[in-house]
Amino acid sequence: MFVNLEEASRLIHEGRILHIAADEYLLEQLPKGKWIAGTTPYFITEHGGTVCKDRLFVNDITDAVDYKTVVYDKNSILNITEDAYSNGITFLIMPYASDVAVVYAKEAPNLSNLYINPIVGWISGYDLSADSTAKVYDGVSGESYYNKAVALHVCLPDDQMVSLGIVNIFDTDENDTKIEFAEDALSVEKCLVDGKETLLADYILQNQINTQLPLIADYNSVLINVSIKTVSEHNKTVDLYAPVFAGKEYRFSRPVSNYAARFKEHLQGLEDIKPIFSCNCILNYLYGELEGKATPPFTGPVTFGEIAYQLLNQTLVYAEIIRK
Amino acid sequence: MDLDPKFEKLIKKQAAYKSDNLGLNLLISRLQKNYSANQSREELGKCLDEMRAFFKKYNSILGRDIEALGKL
Repeated sequence: MFVNLEEASRLIHEGRILHIAADEYLLEQLPKGKWIAGTTPYFITEHGGTVCKDRLFVNDITDAVDYKTVVYDKNSILNITEDAYSNGITFLIMPYASDVAVVYAKEAPNLSNLYINPIVGWISGYDLSADSTAKVYDGVSGESYYNKAVALHVCLPDDQMVSLGIVNIFDTDENDTKIEFAEDALSVEKCLVDGKETLLADYILQNQINTQLPLIADYNSVLINVSIKTVSEHNKTVDLYAPVFAGKEYRFSRPVSNYAARFKEHLQGLEDIKPIFSCNCILNYLYGELEGKATPPFTGPVTFGEIAYQLLNQTLVYAEIIRK
Repeated sequence: MDLDPKFEKLIKKQAAYKSDNLGLNLLISRLQKNYSANQSREELGKCLDEMRAFFKKYNSILGRDIEALGKL
């Protein structure tokens, strides 16, 4: 729900267990309670995408039978699955460009129990037109952090469980150029292009590749994006918003001419889902000009990275509760 | 149904199976990558343990997957 400060404060005073996304100015005014939050002024509501600094997006986790908030730094973040309830879900928010987010991005896919205890969440951000810092909040202590992650571990009743899903509007042509990397990395120089060692920056520039399109790897039919942050012709480096992994084959996405239409296409068949949480990527919002465009049934924060078990890019993520 | 022989085929990429379940697909992908990098009995055992644990927890919502895997 997309509510004002008074309504959000009322929910907190009622003792609800909440996940919240909003501009820093609003989050600073919230009373202590059973909530975590992250900063963003970008949202997709039922009326469409919007930039808003006077409302908060709140997910009320009413089905929870227990909860705990935990703050993690770069040294403890990989303990996150051990802290989860045996039947539940973990909401995780990490600040953009923080060390903890980097560690999670690179190491989470190797975590034991990652797929047993579902983790969903996002990378908090800020208004790109203003000079600001991404933050996360632990509502129990009232503390905020720019360099730590906050998790809301939720325990569900025995007759319920969580299922995570993603909507990725990008795809590849299997006959297109294959790109591989020798190591897991968030910044890349060399790669193998169809088996031949190449500087990725040179390959992108010489082939005039549209860097608004992600690199994509196939994870047993699930397409996982890695978005390009910057390409430096001078340094011959390519910086990424999520890591590439050794042992995976990547291809650049095929072009997408109309993001909103592509979302509409991909959302067919998902109309009956009742998400308890969803988020979508700031790059989809910006490149796809999603302001004023809705993605039903999914509403939520627009984020600087999405988490469905592992860090994702340019992807809509959602969580739903399933009755056993 | 004993799914271990089916899991082993999947982990060794001797069979392919694509689920509608995001977590299962990501898990299969990870286990195939792990086993591909270390094709030992010990690693296979670890991979099988992870598959068993996933199917034990999500047994109630993986009915279609269990049925389909049985036919692999």
